Amino acid sequence: METPKDLPKFAVLQLSGCSGCEVSLLNSDEWISNFQLVYMPLVVSTHKIPEDIEVLLVSGGVRTDEDLHNLRKGASRSKKLIAVGTCALSGGVAQIREGHISRESYLDSSHRLRLPSMLPRAYPIDKFVHVDLYLPGCPPTPELFITALKEAENAKIASIVCQECGRKKLTDMRPTSISGPRSGTPDPEICLINQGYLCVGTSTRGGCGALCTRPGHACVGCRGPANPYLNKDPEFVLDNLRRVFTRMTDIPIEEINAALASPWLSLFLGQFTDYTQDQSLPQRTKEKMI
Amino acid sequence: MEMRGFSYYVQGIPAEQITVIVPRICGVCSTAHQVASVKALEDVFGVTPPPLATEIREVLLLGQLIQNQATSLFIFTMPDRVNASSLFEMGDDQESKARQFSLAQMSLKIRKIGTDLISLAGGQFIHPIKTVIGGVTSSIPREKADAMIKTIEELLPVAVDLVDNYWQMSLEMVDRIGTWGDDEPTYYLASTEADNFRLNSNQLRVMCNEGRQCHTFAPQEYENYINIEASDYSYAGISDFQGHIMRANSLARINLTNSFGTPKADAYLKRFDEAYGKPAHAILFFDLCRGIELVYALEKAKQMLETDLQNGEAMVRYQPRDGIGFGLVEAPRGPLIHRYEVENGLIKNADFIIPTVHNMLAIRRALMVAAKRYVSPEGISNELARAVGRVVRAFDPCIACATK
Repeated sequence: METPKDLPKFAVLQLSGCSGCEVSLLNSDEWISNFQLVYMPLVVSTHKIPEDIEVLLVSGGVRTDEDLHNLRKGASRSKKLIAVGTCALSGGVAQIREGHISRESYLDSSHRLRLPSMLPRAYPIDKFVHVDLYLPGCPPTPELFITALKEAENAKIASIVCQECGRKKLTDMRPTSISGPRSGTPDPEICLINQGYLCVGTSTRGGCGALCTRPGHACVGCRGPANPYLNKDPEFVLDNLRRVFTRMTDIPIEEINAALASPWLSLFLGQFTDYTQDQSLPQRTKEKMI
Repeated sequence: MEMRGFSYYVQGIPAEQITVIVPRICGVCSTAHQVASVKALEDVFGVTPPPLATEIREVLLLGQLIQNQATSLFIFTMPDRVNASSLFEMGDDQESKARQFSLAQMSLKIRKIGTDLISLAGGQFIHPIKTVIGGVTSSIPREKADAMIKTIEELLPVAVDLVDNYWQMSLEMVDRIGTWGDDEPTYYLASTEADNFRLNSNQLRVMCNEGRQCHTFAPQEYENYINIEASDYSYAGISDFQGHIMRANSLARINLTNSFGTPKADAYLKRFDEAYGKPAHAILFFDLCRGIELVYALEKAKQMLETDLQNGEAMVRYQPRDGIGFGLVEAPRGPLIHRYEVENGLIKNADFIIPTVHNMLAIRRALMVAAKRYVSPEGISNELARAVGRVVRAFDPCIACATK
């Protein structure tokens, strides 16, 4: 039997994020027998990122000069780098709003002489280092973590959320306005779009098990664009959603447009489309996506 | 170390959308943030959720307490007790490898009960979604409750074993290092009640230096009692209670609890009070108290799931309106308050009073105590780095979110 010291070294580097990805990883114990965890702040007491890492998971966006330093150091010491969570792929929740006033007042209050400096915005990690595999999700489920770690090459991921949702799409149920928090409890069997909810599962990458839509919560798109929409202009993604809603509902187009611009969608939709506007970023091919 | 900055990003957002956004302040405490956020809007809109929803939210928060305390105890602080660098560090010989492997697996199993409870009552394992303004979107079906009860019944003895082991390891560690850490009296802050340990709480309580409960106040009044400032050496906010150092988190709750109302947790509470007095002050007691709370939360979750959480009204209708509202919950690290000001249906201002700000002065003092012990004119002891780690882990801080 091999000793644990022979197991491949595995490390987790957290940049600016909420730790949700780390919490999700700890929800699975399947990796314990496959890897030797050598670095993960809080979980392993060491301040140095070790050499010769086989797999490095990076969560969080690059938001401070300290993040950038740690990212470059970690990347240079690992054979394979996996970007995990929506923040690592897009910069993160800090991009939630275009509001320049809020961003300026935020940067004012965050500038302190003796602390790591904030960069002008939060960046996705592939702005600075080579990424071998992308695992989007807020957070990715423990099952997806295991897929990324153990069988990325043969992974079969549902193309869109609808594939795993199981709700029935009806042709004769056409809502005339957007449903919201005050619309009561949705029917458990019928597609949320048929019931007027602003669900973006039709263009969002699957693999999550439709965790939100099955119990009746509209998909907010945390896994980002499905393969056909990778690297595409924001308008391309929004157009597709508009088409879905005009095909399946009688909601006025102005109302659909206003709803698509709402902040809770910009939490994710905005992050991923924002990403495509930076020409210096590498293309993300579907082979690299989990 | 960063600044989350949510109080800036949410300005101008439609108020009803904020409950999806703010759980992302912290993936560890997303549950507490989501419930506090919903409660703050219910306060603004003048909505009272039905009793069934209040119960289900409590189950949700118990799940989070289990997940958090199991993580802190077994993953973060148990390695300190055996001088290892992590729970997943295994020795070379087969016997120690097997023991370590089983310890790691058992610990993650207990932790998973918390995760499963969050999924059951919250609809998502992180960043839950079922708690909404006016109640919860669905109740807990009998068969799902029964399956969860069965798991808890199976694993409660395992958890008790782990906690007993942990307690024993702590005693051995204290024999080795010769101290339980900073044990000067402080004020204590918690929002659970003395004989009714509810995490879905309504009032804050304060215990003064001499161990007497001296103040009770609603979250709306917090500014009259608690002062919060920014500093230039940390992005974390730093609070004091009318000029006094205070502490929140497990030790504060235990000092302010007479009885849990569940048999095993009450037995541990009695053992703790008899051994260390009430109030107890040394910082490594925070860790023992997490063990007591872990056992309580498992027992209480089982008790609550045995009641009917399936039938009855889960949600009431509401009409939004403008105003100011406060949402309070007892998060694993102490009382969490969200304060929102809503104008024309949009968030005009939002404040997040994160529990760790209440521990910042206490952490600083405990670090000074450790430094004085291990730094002398003759030199710096090798124990210092480990002692600093133990202090920080005892407070289990949420520094990244606790910004000002």
